[in-house]
Amino acid sequence: MVPIVLGAVLGGTLLGAAAARPPAVLAQDTRQENEACLACHTAPGMVLQLPSTEVISVTIDAARFNASAHGRALACTACHPANVAVPHPAVRATTMREYREARARVCATCHADAAETFGASVHGRAGRMGFGDTPNCTTCHNPHDAARVKTPVFRNNIPQLCGTCHADPAIMGKYGLRAVYTTYISEFHGVTTTLYKLTRPQSPTPAAICTDCHGGHGIRAASDPASMVHPANVLATCRRCHPTAGRFFATAWTEHRTPSPDASPLVYYVQIFYRILIPATVGFLGVLTVLDLGRWATDQLRRGRTG
Amino acid sequence: MSVRMVPRFTLAQRIEHFVLIISFNVLALTGLPQKYFQAAWAERIIQVLGGIEQVRFIHRTFAVILIAEAVFHVGAVIVARRRGRERGEMNVSFQDVRDVVGDIAYLVGLRPTKPAFARFDYRQKLEYWAVVWGTAVMATSGLIMWFPEALARVLPGVLVPAARVAHGGEALLAVLAVIIWHFYNAHFRPDVFPLDPAMWTGAIPLERLRHDHRAEYLRLLEAGLIVDEDAAGVGGPEDTLPEPPSRA
Repeated sequence: MVPIVLGAVLGGTLLGAAAARPPAVLAQDTRQENEACLACHTAPGMVLQLPSTEVISVTIDAARFNASAHGRALACTACHPANVAVPHPAVRATTMREYREARARVCATCHADAAETFGASVHGRAGRMGFGDTPNCTTCHNPHDAARVKTPVFRNNIPQLCGTCHADPAIMGKYGLRAVYTTYISEFHGVTTTLYKLTRPQSPTPAAICTDCHGGHGIRAASDPASMVHPANVLATCRRCHPTAGRFFATAWTEHRTPSPDASPLVYYVQIFYRILIPATVGFLGVLTVLDLGRWATDQLRRGRTG
Repeated sequence: MSVRMVPRFTLAQRIEHFVLIISFNVLALTGLPQKYFQAAWAERIIQVLGGIEQVRFIHRTFAVILIAEAVFHVGAVIVARRRGRERGEMNVSFQDVRDVVGDIAYLVGLRPTKPAFARFDYRQKLEYWAVVWGTAVMATSGLIMWFPEALARVLPGVLVPAARVAHGGEALLAVLAVIIWHFYNAHFRPDVFPLDPAMWTGAIPLERLRHDHRAEYLRLLEAGLIVDEDAAGVGGPEDTLPEPPSRA
């Protein structure tokens, strides 16, 4: 018992000390080393061309990099060890895909948990199976950028980030998926998120974004029983934000489908109702108004002639 | 000719109308930018009002005011009926269909005079019932969107997206109807331009009643509730029109 208490006290003290530590500041020599790299790599338009003719920008925005989590803690050579030599040795990757996969292995040296979770996700599995469109670390995260994951800007931009692929019917069609981006944006959550992005970019949207319901690194196919949006789990997922949601709540979600006679027919028929009622009413009222004005004008003319 | 006025709206009714003007306009101003959120003007309005949370707060506040006004109105109608002050003058009957047909015939020149309208003509009844229908739809669908968690305890959740579609559709319908119908009938009609003052003064000139609500005019005249010394036309061809059917 005593060792546990002692351990807890000690651990707590250490944690408190860690939390009280000032933010990581680069050692003097590391800073000088990074400045040496950035002396060239801030020049605009620097690119690396792969044998596949794909082009990678190697220009770094120094201000954004220095403000980013990596820029405040790491030497450039921590992730790019081969590039200590100048001129840099040739890149072994022949395609963008190979290049990204090599980058992902670098990420995994520190971010092992995220890499493991991602490896088990639908994106990670499909990538290992060789599907070319699947994302990995650097598809969604720019290691040189200050827009870190916990910032409101990053959160409010997630639908667009996912939409890079999930708004594209050509990519989605290959996997039997719908391009869900547009329907999300026109749903209640998407409207709120868009409005936050447009009018209050520094405030995180309170409405659900893709990752809130689907998960981030660990995202699964909706048909996977482990998926947060699997029919068996979806109500529990709703209740993470709507804790008082009633048992029929999940059907309020139209599954990113455009309402049709087959998908959310009630919504579809309400749409049809107004699509008929609005022009019919406006037409009827408009015609009566024009007739009324016409009668008045005719009377004026007649009065003018006789009087 | 002195302008003699006939009472038309009580003070309470005029206040109700004023509350309706304010709440309708604020609701439209804060609601339409949410419906057309991707438009530049919508973004600007939301920005000016202090962000989407503020816009929704204002929208819901005035929604509560409008709902309270609707509840008051229903109560006032019930009380007025009990006390016999209200004679069902907004009731829609087959006479109104005949009035629409007759009015169109008059407007296109097929008959020389307009139908002898009762206290409220079909245009006014249409507006009144449109407001009743619109408020009912907007309040119901709005409350569903406001409290979706509670709704889904007893009713299917699909009512939430359906309510959202209905709320947006009905809003557009209401705004368009007000712009075309109410603005024309109460503001831009050449004989009332720039505004029909009846809803502000609570009274209508006797002469307008004689022309625009002839059935009501004749009823009041017969009941001895008004005296019209200028009515040279009484007994003329306009008065041979049938009396409106007695109302329940």
